[in-house]
Amino acid sequence: MLSSLQKPRPAAAQLLSFGLILSTAFMMWKGLSVITDSPSPIVVVLTSSMEPAFQRGDLLFLNNRDIVSEPGVGDIVVYNVDGIDIPIVHRIIQKWEGAGTKFLTKGDNNMADDTGLYAKGQNYLGRENIIGSVIAYVPFVGYVTILLSEYPWLKTVMLGLMGLMVILQRE
Amino acid sequence: MHSTIVRGQNVFGFFTTVCFVVAALIAASDLLAPRTPKATVAANTVQVVRGRPHYYSTKKEEYAIIRFTMNADFSSLFTWNTKQVFVYVSASWPNSTSEELVNEAVIWDTIITNPSADHLQNIGPAAMKKLVKSAKGKSIDPKRGKIDLKNQKPKYQITAPTGKLQDTDGVVLRVHYNVQPWVGVLTWTPQIEFGSWKKLKGGVSKAFKLPSIKKKDPPKKA
Repeated sequence: MLSSLQKPRPAAAQLLSFGLILSTAFMMWKGLSVITDSPSPIVVVLTSSMEPAFQRGDLLFLNNRDIVSEPGVGDIVVYNVDGIDIPIVHRIIQKWEGAGTKFLTKGDNNMADDTGLYAKGQNYLGRENIIGSVIAYVPFVGYVTILLSEYPWLKTVMLGLMGLMVILQRE
Repeated sequence: MHSTIVRGQNVFGFFTTVCFVVAALIAASDLLAPRTPKATVAANTVQVVRGRPHYYSTKKEEYAIIRFTMNADFSSLFTWNTKQVFVYVSASWPNSTSEELVNEAVIWDTIITNPSADHLQNIGPAAMKKLVKSAKGKSIDPKRGKIDLKNQKPKYQITAPTGKLQDTDGVVLRVHYNVQPWVGVLTWTPQIEFGSWKKLKGGVSKAFKLPSIKKKDPPKKA
């Protein structure tokens, strides 16, 4: 650790490459966001409302760009309720086109449709509530993020371990 | 260069690369399996009622109950990478302005799991054990993809945002499916033929009309 103070160049170079890795990851994420036109192109399934299709911890890839057509009945979409920032993954069961297209959603594992989840006075979703339709799926991979959010001490443990590895590598 | 940490990093990096490539190959294998789905559907009895369709409805609305008959064969959709097939029947009709079927609502749906995903279903322990045991060690039973419904009661009553449903013309029932893989791209009823994946043969009913709400007969004179 002390040796880095005597040799600032290698230390600065390491810091720079670390920064480059971080910004590359950020650029790839934002690039994917632009391609799919979705604020969050990859989401982790948090609830069991779409079982047996999706389990908690599954990774979903979204697309929000209407290339062929708008989301239709039967599509699995991720949406935000008016005013609340929690994404919900459910299936469209009704679509009423018109001046403002209206959608009604329901989770496969739920008995009732999502009218109870929408904002007060909101009976249907609009296109702007939908932040993407699911196009691809990978099981289990996202479970790490669920663990990190449910057990916040895991974050400090992981950061501690990474810091420890960085220090040990120098000597 | 040969410390344990670096060795661990190399192994982990190789592991993730292999996982990624294997997942991509499994997802691509879906394209090799041919798909030949078929279905026929027809509406049996149609009723339009004025009442409270859901437990949370606060006012009376017009809602439609469409009983239907359906025969379908989705057994070609089940491959080793299929997790489940979601089949749904929807009623759709055009607006007064154009021919396009712009109003669509699902009246019935079902989930058919692949034997490899049976353990994820939402059924009790005894039924689960029976189901898993019946499919263990065998290739996928073609009966799994076959659906045969006669005069089926719909799962969902449909209400329109406008609140008016009676005397709607040009209503068609359509059968759709959604294949959910273990890894890869989710697919729906195709609009175009793609390689060995054929379009759904049939699957659309004849157009029918939603009837008027039955008026109560005037009370018979005593």
